[in-house]
This record gives sequence, structure tokens and C-alpha cells, in this order.
Amino acid sequence: MSSVAVIGDIDTVTGFRLGGVREGRVVNNKEEAEKALDDLIETNVSIIIITDKIADEIRVHMNKTIGSEIVPMVIEIPDKDGISESDGDQMRALIKRVIGVDIK
Amino acid sequence: MAEEILEGINPTRMELLALKKRQNLAVKGHSLLKEKRDALIKEFFDILDRVKGARSDVELTLNEAYEALTLAQIQLGDLAVQKTALSVKESVDVNVTSRNIMGVPVPLCDTEFDSRTLVDRGYGFSDTSIQLDNAAKKFEDSVKMIIELGEIEKTIFLLADEIESTKRRVNALEHVMIPKLENTVKSIDMRLQEMERENFVRLKMIRSTLEQNEAKNAAKTAFDKA
Repeated sequence: MSSVAVIGDIDTVTGFRLGGVREGRVVNNKEEAEKALDDLIETNVSIIIITDKIADEIRVHMNKTIGSEIVPMVIEIPDKDGISESDGDQMRALIKRVIGVDIK
Repeated sequence: MAEEILEGINPTRMELLALKKRQNLAVKGHSLLKEKRDALIKEFFDILDRVKGARSDVELTLNEAYEALTLAQIQLGDLAVQKTALSVKESVDVNVTSRNIMGVPVPLCDTEFDSRTLVDRGYGFSDTSIQLDNAAKKFEDSVKMIIELGEIEKTIFLLADEIESTKRRVNALEHVMIPKLENTVKSIDMRLQEMERENFVRLKMIRSTLEQNEAKNAAKTAFDKA
């Protein structure tokens, strides 16, 4: 039973298929991405790898459907065009909010 | 805000006792929560050390993997690579369970990888190249790292949530609930003392009136006798 899945553009999905993640959903727009995410959650996939560009687009939907449960675990990764800049800042902002001090 | 007290409390001795009990409980709860918060923050820092390098490592590995994939695509063509990818066998088997950190359930990934050779991947050799093997290898590595990273990041987010809510409760107790209880206890105490004084004065008054009356009566009977 496949418990890891990928949502991304065709290249990302192809790459991860080569790496042995068979469950891959190629999405081209927001609606497809939301539907793919819902589908995967319904089939009890425990880890969803998603490219950060798509994640940014469906952020609202993602926050609504996922919440603070352990499963599914959603991991954002950069796609082949490179790293989105916002991610490191997110982590830093979180740390600052929690501890109250800015750590580099 | 300094002199705020709880509303709807009668100034009686019963209420005072009950309030003192509540105050004790609040103080005890506050110190416990404070300890919990400190422990959580310590845990948080421990994990923070682990996440620091993990993210950039994943990005680096992925970048290499994408490069290798692009090379393979250049050599074989997009379609051929996609076709080959479809015949690759599943390599990862993850079992996500949970672990407890100070009452916060966090994920624990039990990942099983078949470390596999070229043959195990499941595609043929005739229409593939070493670039493709390379890309597959790199992606296998990245999947492994991504899952680890996901576990750590999720843990951090969950811990952060818990720390925030614990902090809010500690602060609410420290700055609102406990002062309010203290003030209420104080004001009831003062009210009771005031009532006691009033009673005392009242008794004195009654006594002096009685004594006066008695004296008057005595004088009257003495006068009548005479």
C-alpha cells in the first residue's frame, strides 16, 4: 500500500516516480490541486509531498483540510525552478512568535 | 485593572474559604504550567538544532536530482523518461505513528527503504541511460530526506502550537486570574472586618442605652420609694 504521494508539475511527479513514489498527481491549476489533495486525504495517504508553488496557491484550502492532525503529513519542497524565498522566513517568524526572541 | 475583583461574590466567610481554596489551586496550576512551558521550550530548542541543516540539505539534494532528471530528459526525451518512470516499482513504505513530548503527540515515521540496485527498479536497460539511473538514485535519496524533514517540521509546528497555548494560559493565570482572586479575597476580608466593627459598635450602643435605661429606672424607683 502506497503511503507516500506527490502533488506537483509533470517533471516533479516524473522524478519522484523514478525515485519510487508511485502515487503522483500532476496538477496544472488550483482546482485540480485542491481535488488531488482531497482525493489523497480520502485514500489515507500518510505523507503528501507538494511543490511550494502549488502549496502557496491552495494555502487556504490546505489549512482548512489538514489542521493539526499528525496524518496526513504535508511536506513542501521546491520544484525544479528553484527554492521559493518565503519558506525560511516562515520558520523564523514561527520561532520568534513562540520564544519571543529572534534567532538567526 | 489593579483593583479588579470577581463579580457576584457575597462577602461571607463561606465564600472566603472557597475563594482561598481557588486561589491555592490557581497558584499551584500556574507553577505547574510554567514548568510545562519551560520543558516544552527546551524540547523545542533541541529539535530546532536538528531542523537547521535539514531543510537546506533537502534543497541541495533535490536540486541535484532535478539536474540529473533534466539531463536524462535531454538525452532520452520527455516522453521516454515519463514512460520509464511509470514502470518503476514502489520503494518506500512509511508507517507513521506518534510519540509523546510532554503530552503533545508528534509524528514518528518508521520508514522502510529497499536499498535497491539497478535491476530492482523495474525498468529495462535497452532504452535507458546512466543519466536516468543517476536521477532515480538521487530522487530515492531525496525522498528519504524529505520524509525526515517532514517529521521534524511537523513536530516543530505542533510543539510551537502547544507552547503558544501554554504560554497564554500561564499569562492569563499570572496577570488576570491570580490578581483578581487576591483582590477578591482581600476585599471580602476587609468587608468582614468592617462588619465586625459595625457589630461591635452596635453592641456598645445597645449596652449603653440599656445601662442608661437601667440607671433611669433605678433613679425612678428610688424616687418613688422616697
